[in-house]
Amino acid sequence: MVKKYRIGAMAAALLMLLAIACNKASDDVSPSNDLDRQPMLSNYANNYIVPAYADMVAKLTTLRSDIQTFTNAPDNTTKEAAINSFRAAYTTWQKVDMLEFGPAEDVLLRSYMNTYPVTVSKLDGNISSGSYDLETFGSKDAQGFPAIDYLLNGLDVSMYTTDANASNRKQYLLAVVDKMLEKVNKVNSDWATYKDNFIANTSTDANSSISIMVNNYVMYYERYLRGGKVGLPVGAMTGIAKADISEAYYSQELAKEFAVTALTAVRDFYSGKSYSGASSGEGMKSYLAALGTTDNNGMLMADVVETEMNQAITAVSSLNGTIVEAVNNNRTQVLEAYEEVQDVVPLLKVDMVSAFSISITYTDNDGD
Amino acid sequence: MRQKIKDILSDQQLGKPVYSASLAVFRTVFGFMILFSTLRFWSRGWIEELYIKPDFFFSYYGFEWVKHLGEYTYILFIICGISALLFAIGLFYRYAAVVLFCSFTYIELMDKTNYLNHYYFVSLVLFLMMWLPAHVNFSVDAWRKPSISKRYIPRWTVGSIRMMMAIVYVYAGLAKLNSDWLINAMPLRLWLPANNDMPVIGPLFNHLWVAYLFSWFGAAYDLFIAFFLLNKRTRPYAYATVVVFHLLTAALFPIGVFPYVMIVSALVFFESEDADKFVQMMKSLRFSLPVDENKRIYIFAPLAKKWVIPMFAVFFVIQLALPWRYLLNKGELFWTEEGYRFSWRVMLMEKMGYAQFMVKDKETGERVAVNNNDFLTRNQEKMMATQSDFIVQYAQFLKEHYKQKGMHEPQVHATVYVAMNGRRSRLYVDTSVDLAKEEDSWKHKEWILAFNDNIYGL
Repeated sequence: MVKKYRIGAMAAALLMLLAIACNKASDDVSPSNDLDRQPMLSNYANNYIVPAYADMVAKLTTLRSDIQTFTNAPDNTTKEAAINSFRAAYTTWQKVDMLEFGPAEDVLLRSYMNTYPVTVSKLDGNISSGSYDLETFGSKDAQGFPAIDYLLNGLDVSMYTTDANASNRKQYLLAVVDKMLEKVNKVNSDWATYKDNFIANTSTDANSSISIMVNNYVMYYERYLRGGKVGLPVGAMTGIAKADISEAYYSQELAKEFAVTALTAVRDFYSGKSYSGASSGEGMKSYLAALGTTDNNGMLMADVVETEMNQAITAVSSLNGTIVEAVNNNRTQVLEAYEEVQDVVPLLKVDMVSAFSISITYTDNDGD
Repeated sequence: MRQKIKDILSDQQLGKPVYSASLAVFRTVFGFMILFSTLRFWSRGWIEELYIKPDFFFSYYGFEWVKHLGEYTYILFIICGISALLFAIGLFYRYAAVVLFCSFTYIELMDKTNYLNHYYFVSLVLFLMMWLPAHVNFSVDAWRKPSISKRYIPRWTVGSIRMMMAIVYVYAGLAKLNSDWLINAMPLRLWLPANNDMPVIGPLFNHLWVAYLFSWFGAAYDLFIAFFLLNKRTRPYAYATVVVFHLLTAALFPIGVFPYVMIVSALVFFESEDADKFVQMMKSLRFSLPVDENKRIYIFAPLAKKWVIPMFAVFFVIQLALPWRYLLNKGELFWTEEGYRFSWRVMLMEKMGYAQFMVKDKETGERVAVNNNDFLTRNQEKMMATQSDFIVQYAQFLKEHYKQKGMHEPQVHATVYVAMNGRRSRLYVDTSVDLAKEEDSWKHKEWILAFNDNIYGL
């Protein structure tokens, strides 16, 4: 009898719990379609990534043709034209750099495009010997945009006309841009086939599209944007400023602009904007908003991230002069700007990734 | 008092004979489960990834003497696998059980990064099994030495395994009685949408009410399932629930073999009579293990009885007390994790951290920003970044590493951000504290910054 009573009580308790659970659930208004990952992946692939690489190819093709013109007839006019298309291409790179996953990661695109600082002695050695292999790992710091920066902005036209190595130098300049074009072409054409898999792979495990995209995007932000463009030159970690390792060192007026362009691209990509900026769609922001995490004040984390990104953009934009000048003359201001850029790191790396519950490894876990 | 204990242990109560097939069948399925788990671990390359590749291992407090074995880890796994097989078929059972307990537990003790509640559960059950007569039926040993073959064993032997299972479930249920789980449906409201691409049921996970339903059902399940399994009338439904529930969690979460371990272990709740019928039925199969035919009762040697029962009593007292040890520490348990492990707290938190270490030469002021991936695997880094005892161990390691590299009295500072159950990340460690001077202990770590929020309940 006692036993029966006990079972009855237990069953009642269970039912009560379920009833309360269902009651609780009525808070829910309607399910959000923004929680579906496929539209997000599709928006990223079709409206950002594919147009971005197409633009990168176009800009490098123009650069190649202008460099060809310059090397055919080196003078200040042809050089100026090449420099202009160099700037355009390097600016485009700032919007592409964060996409180092899938096909780009396979070819290690970033290391061929933008390993800086350029090692001038190695580059000069390559030119004077005339024998080099730009494919090898050891050549990464003697090619890409930083090498072109040095070759166009760091040298006089005379180095391409009267200098003993002028002919080798022209060849080298062409070889560098050819290697970049080769790599970007490969990534661009690979995306045509990779795209469908990318969009179809909607899971959240370690090899899923969202996992590799977000992890590489966050890693880019932390290491190459925060670290490379601001942290290392100002010596935020080491306490020792190293202005000479800033990006685009031979055209110093560009580095700050690049940092701002890159930060803006990071924000726009987060928001789901198209590459052209003309339209907006599903992205990390809408997905995070749909998950509904908030800060202590009840503000959506999706908005907090964007606000903090905007503050980082403002802080870097308002540095006085170039990055090199700011580091040398007003280091405190740069360190403050660095802090603004840094503030976004935990928001992306911890808050966003945690809310997305994407795995980084395949090992079992207890969920703690 | 003494008389009372004698009564409880008498043939009418805990000493009452039950069919030995119950424990024997449990031994078989549990042994094969461990064998499968070991093979799975190996085939996924995890021995290499978790025990050979890392340069640094996080040891358990008090178990610093457990060293990693490098390539010899494979031999340890072979020993573990073979003893699991012998354990399962009941060949040289006592030796197999001891070796299996030791090797399995040693593997777990090598790096607490890999701590999983169900590995801990396996170790505890193996500890119990070492002392129990699980080989007197349905085993090669009983066929080899017919004299040990017995049809009946004392009830408390099977009971202790059931007790262990019940503790796991009930404590896992109690741990869910908190505001994050019940009121906010955390972390399931984050984890379920991550599975919304599953066929058929996937779209359901976009609804918040499903996260609430799962949370409340999960808590109720854990709290009560053991009692429904113990009751004869509810048992068939309860066991069906066990199977469905654990298969669902297996499909949803990366919790490895845990669901299967629980599904097979819960078989121990069935009447020993049913187990006996089952093995009698198995007898007709050609590949069956030998089944006892006689009606003899297993009797513990007086000395064994004198020690094993009190030892089990102490064991269970510890088991019942250990999950409450967090009450001795101040601060929010989920935040500090001081007293979190070994307490059946499973799937309770979505917690993620980010830890940037800075090592400074005290004399020259030279600073180095540590790239964690130079020393830790991604998995280790992930675990380290949210748990204070890992952080202090890693800081100690960094101090020694940079001292050897010629730094004078390295100072270690960490900027750690942790987000938990959907809350905005906040600083976890006092950045002004030199972690090189701190040590791991059971005391509260004063350098853990406040959680600044409340989680109500247990």
